[in-house]
Amino acid sequence: MKTILLGLFLLTTAFAQTPGPQETAIEKPAAKVGPMPRGADGKPDFQGVWEVRNPGGAAAYDVEDHLKAVYGIPPGKGVIVDPKDGKIPYLPAAAQRKQDLVAHHMYDDPEAHCFLSGIPRQVYAPFGFQILQPANNVVFLFENFHAYRVIPTDGRPHLPADIKTFDGDSRGRWEGDTLVVDVTNQNDKTWFDMAGNFHSDAIHVVERYAPVDANTISYRATIDDPKTFTRPWTIAFPITRIVRPGYEIMELACVEGERDLKHYTEGEGGANKK
Amino acid sequence: MRIRPLFFLIAFFPALAQSYRAPKLANGQPDLQGIWQAQTTASYDIEPHAARLGVPAGTGIVVGGEIPYKPEAAAKQQQNFQNRATADPNNKCFLPGVPRANYMPLPFQIFQTAKDVAILYEYVHAYRLIRMDGSKHPDDVDFWMGDSRGHWEGDTLVVDVSNNNDQTWFDASGNFHSDALHVVERYTRTGLDTISYEATIEDPKVFTRPWKISLALYRRPEKNLQLMEYDCYAYEESSK
Repeated sequence: MKTILLGLFLLTTAFAQTPGPQETAIEKPAAKVGPMPRGADGKPDFQGVWEVRNPGGAAAYDVEDHLKAVYGIPPGKGVIVDPKDGKIPYLPAAAQRKQDLVAHHMYDDPEAHCFLSGIPRQVYAPFGFQILQPANNVVFLFENFHAYRVIPTDGRPHLPADIKTFDGDSRGRWEGDTLVVDVTNQNDKTWFDMAGNFHSDAIHVVERYAPVDANTISYRATIDDPKTFTRPWTIAFPITRIVRPGYEIMELACVEGERDLKHYTEGEGGANKK
Repeated sequence: MRIRPLFFLIAFFPALAQSYRAPKLANGQPDLQGIWQAQTTASYDIEPHAARLGVPAGTGIVVGGEIPYKPEAAAKQQQNFQNRATADPNNKCFLPGVPRANYMPLPFQIFQTAKDVAILYEYVHAYRLIRMDGSKHPDDVDFWMGDSRGHWEGDTLVVDVSNNNDQTWFDASGNFHSDALHVVERYTRTGLDTISYEATIEDPKVFTRPWKISLALYRRPEKNLQLMEYDCYAYEESSK
């Protein structure tokens, strides 16, 4: 049995081996690639295996700029494009709560407990994902925690508002060539990253997946949560196709092999068990 | 009374499968898409079983009624049964494995594209991507949900499930297998709202011979039905 173990420790190790954002911008493709293919319905065909490399990959640590290495996390640039200062526009009480999470509750990172990551974190969590486009749906199969998202594009209404879930309730529609996904019904248990950036259950996310070329999707997500932020804010980064021949996503079983919570110790990033 | 339902399953379902032709997708594949769910007590016990506290009686899904355990494996199953409250991997919110995922009392959704068939389970958000491109199972890696490669035989989706680990059970009664488990599944539409599901189970470390399970999958017809999120472990953790 070769159960894959995962947690902060492994995540940190995995990221430490990838080039930091200060070293590379988006990798330039060796040969010019054509446009995104289209499906039988005329819409962009996003099917295939994708990953979020740097600069987007750094968001898994901290969606804001994190230019100093802390808790063994490498420095990186943030992914917030609005507001211009790259900072999350927290309400004062929420800003205080964030500081408290950083100081005392790193142990409570929901991902370290193998909980589903929430949206948008699920998208830039490491290890890539596969997109399927069966009729009337866009389906994301994530390697991380075997999470999936079924995004109906048939115009059906959202779930009743009282039903809260980790990954929320997604409804898609096409605006020209851009897949727009409206995400509601998220609970208040997920974070945006490993840096304690958080939200309430009033969060509303609108994602935009726009084709750039056959191997690149432009991703933008606008995040609104009037209980936590003074105004909506937006993250953006490219999603890159994994073109290695024969590459397949695998099963990443987290709950089954969790061994990493014990790595959260006093003195290493103020990581206290609450 | 046990004989009759089993007789029904064995004798009647193949007949249905032969007389009904599955509708086809635009690409010519038989259409298995939809949200499906088993209606059986097999998640408690895949063998015929009387009712007990919290468990309704059922005729089981094992063709012939009895799993052909080797003697030492039969003893292990008894031990598993005694320890099931703590030993059942599902009670720890672990991935259920194949075939158990298909008869959990929660729905699952089948999607088809030109290249793949995907089965997404509501239960612990397990999923399987069944690769239909003729590719081979990977070497030297085990998965909780195994590795699934499929092909069509007429209107039947045949899935070869290999690379299983030895950690999952067949049910909540301690029926188990080793990492030598090899499952061949057959999904055949038998009507507008039914699929015949059969699986041949082979594991020479645990069983004296291959054996089969057979059950029906039913379409969930509710309007705007969708898979809900069941992140089992998160609820378990927050109840601590």
